Amino acid sequence: MATTDTLILATDITDNQTVPVTLDGKNILICKANGDFYAVDNMCTHQRAELTGGRIRNCFLACPLHGVRFDLRTGKPKGELTRVPLKTYDVSLDDNGNLQIGLD
Amino acid sequence: MSELIKVKQQGEARCEGLSYQDLLDEETVEVPAYLRENTNPYMGDEDIDVARWVGRDFHEQEKKKLWPKVWQMTCREEDIPEVGDHHVYEIVDQSIIVTRTGENEFKAFINSCLHRGRILRDNDGHAEEFVCPFHGATWDIHGNFKGIPCKWDFSHLDQKDMSLPQVKTGIWGGFIFINFDDNCVALEDYLSPLPEHFARFPLHDYYKGAHVERVVNCNWKVGAEAFMESFHTLETHSEILTFTGDANSQYDTFGDHVSRSVTPMGIASPHMPDVTAEDTMRDILELSGRMATDSAEGHEMPEGLTARTYVAETNREMFSDIIGEPLEDATQSELEDAILYMLFPNTQIWTGYHGNIVYRFLPNGDDHNSCIFETMILMRYPKGTKKPDPAEKNTLRPDQAFSEAPEIGGLGPVFDQDDSNMAAVQKGMIASRKGKVSLASYQESRIRHLHQSIDKYLNA
Repeated sequence: MATTDTLILATDITDNQTVPVTLDGKNILICKANGDFYAVDNMCTHQRAELTGGRIRNCFLACPLHGVRFDLRTGKPKGELTRVPLKTYDVSLDDNGNLQIGLD
Repeated sequence: MSELIKVKQQGEARCEGLSYQDLLDEETVEVPAYLRENTNPYMGDEDIDVARWVGRDFHEQEKKKLWPKVWQMTCREEDIPEVGDHHVYEIVDQSIIVTRTGENEFKAFINSCLHRGRILRDNDGHAEEFVCPFHGATWDIHGNFKGIPCKWDFSHLDQKDMSLPQVKTGIWGGFIFINFDDNCVALEDYLSPLPEHFARFPLHDYYKGAHVERVVNCNWKVGAEAFMESFHTLETHSEILTFTGDANSQYDTFGDHVSRSVTPMGIASPHMPDVTAEDTMRDILELSGRMATDSAEGHEMPEGLTARTYVAETNREMFSDIIGEPLEDATQSELEDAILYMLFPNTQIWTGYHGNIVYRFLPNGDDHNSCIFETMILMRYPKGTKKPDPAEKNTLRPDQAFSEAPEIGGLGPVFDQDDSNMAAVQKGMIASRKGKVSLASYQESRIRHLHQSIDKYLNA
């Protein structure tokens, strides 16, 4: 599992917060929803807008630009603006409580 | 005897034996006045033309004269908890953005850009401002026009009112209502006597614990009517007769917009004389989907107690624990019976202290042969704790059974039985050579009431 240059403690992220990180040159957004962690590409599949700061509710992340909602568990969008899912990454915790993100 | 009096008597026939009012006489706490109301003016027995459900013309009339005039429930307040959160409400061919504009303030805008007409919001969500995804015309969440790119090309709009058109909004019981008609009656008058009858059930302080929807291939009224009489229990839900006083039910109408059915629970159907109290108790806990527990394990009927009393007292104890306050004043009826109100035209709400079911039947867009059937379950939470977040809506695929939605528990299999009739009724009505349906005088009176109220709007 790859980790970010700056280790991120799981306890530093609160529910419904988004944290952008760069990992192997990829812009990835770490999200916490209902106590669980998710990592997705930080780029809306509708118009490539950054998703940082998008509202999270009930495991759905909304793009700040036009409001497309993505299911953080699967990356699947709702509605008509895009049918292309967000890429999702596995997230796990190391022994020190830091988040680890699985790059394929 | 005059013809008129004979007709009236015909409308007053009731099932022999115990009535709901007789059961209220056995209550040990004071019975609130709303349960003692027993009002069912005779509305006639004429057959009703199937065109009201299967005809395109009738749908077009509803589109022109019903939906633009009635108060309609859009969503729950907790669905849009923060300023800028919004719900896109669609009815037939209309689309509305229902948005929270303040802590206790809501507005509803016509969901159509004033530039080229694209819908402004495709989905529910959150917005700091409404930016049209087509060319970027922008409004703040109060509907004030903020501008459009290439302003030099739009100087002709400077003198025009570019505020987003609004429709009326109103709140009751945590539900947000809209009305397209600027001259409509006030929501509180429209709802009467619903708020008074729900005084013991502060729905605004409940939260939506489940929300399931699915398209059903029938007119929205066929769907609604499947839940407006208990007469169908005998043939459609025969497994619940051991604990459902189907034919003992009381049916009431209140003005044009509200009706109710009260079906006593925890007693066996008059169609089943040989059921034991033990059977009634076991089956209601395991099959009804509405009691405080869904298992009869560990429950034994104490000597000398009726199943109705035992189950009501079990509910009293468990609901009190969930709410965090005693329910000493609650009648057994309120703790157990199926007390279901209809708010004209398409919303139905159960009373109850916890786990109140809400049904809504929306036309499926502009198709008069299908509808969207929604079930919400309103839950309580311990007094003094934070209100839980509402459940996300679970949209089942058309080929999925309601029993595939675990969040509605025992209701799923019951809905599947209702579902087996709904599309079949639509199909059979289309095939009907009689071209009319006949209704039971009393047990199906709420259906007649619904249609007579619809006619008042269509003929206005």
